[in-house]
Amino acid sequence: MSLQKDADRNEIKYLRKFVDFNDKRVLEIGCGEGRLTWKYAKEARSVVAVDLDHDSLRVAKVDRPSDLDDKIDLACANSEYLSFAKEKFDIAILAWSL
Amino acid sequence: MVHALEEIRRVLAPDGTLIDLRPLADNWRVEVVSLREVKRTGRVEDLPEQTGGDLAANTAMQEVEKRGWFKREQDELFPFFYSWDTPSEMEEFVDDDWQDFVGLDEDTRRATRAAWAVADGDSRVHVRVEIWIAKWRKINEHI
Repeated sequence: MSLQKDADRNEIKYLRKFVDFNDKRVLEIGCGEGRLTWKYAKEARSVVAVDLDHDSLRVAKVDRPSDLDDKIDLACANSEYLSFAKEKFDIAILAWSL
Repeated sequence: MVHALEEIRRVLAPDGTLIDLRPLADNWRVEVVSLREVKRTGRVEDLPEQTGGDLAANTAMQEVEKRGWFKREQDELFPFFYSWDTPSEMEEFVDDDWQDFVGLDEDTRRATRAAWAVADGDSRVHVRVEIWIAKWRKINEHI
């Protein structure tokens, strides 16, 4: 298949326009295969990216750039029951998931 | 959805930022695009599941604003393109991957194939989706 998504990179352009990731602790809900995650993670201090879809997470774990291994945690989680401590993140992103 | 937003609020630091990034169901345009021109050939049909999802998300955000959990600071719409080499690849994707929430009517399929058949060699088939991005600030409990 020849599918291209967001060849103009509008999504990350607008995301950066709205939020400064520099040294921030980020929670991304609905990370899917990590399409968006890889684009901002370098700037962040840490990223926890969650999704309910096991297949997507499997792909994300394989595709995760090796230089981001230590920075991005991928997990299966439901946004209604987040098993994280209070006030752990500076930014939460609902990525196509509300 | 409101419960999920309550959870997100709990794990956000004081003055933390919530970004709501999502496609809007309305009016996903189908286009045949080359460097020279953009030809609109129809639209993807929204199924009730999709438009209902938008409504529920908007209602949830209104509710959390009313409860004083978050304050909206900024929002904007921007285009996001799905792009294929040919109409048949686009149709296959819509039929296989989007079958649960959108459809493609015969008129749009026919018009897209016809436009692509006479289009420039660099033409691709696009579905243009409007994405809504909104920035919300956590309102701290002690305020």
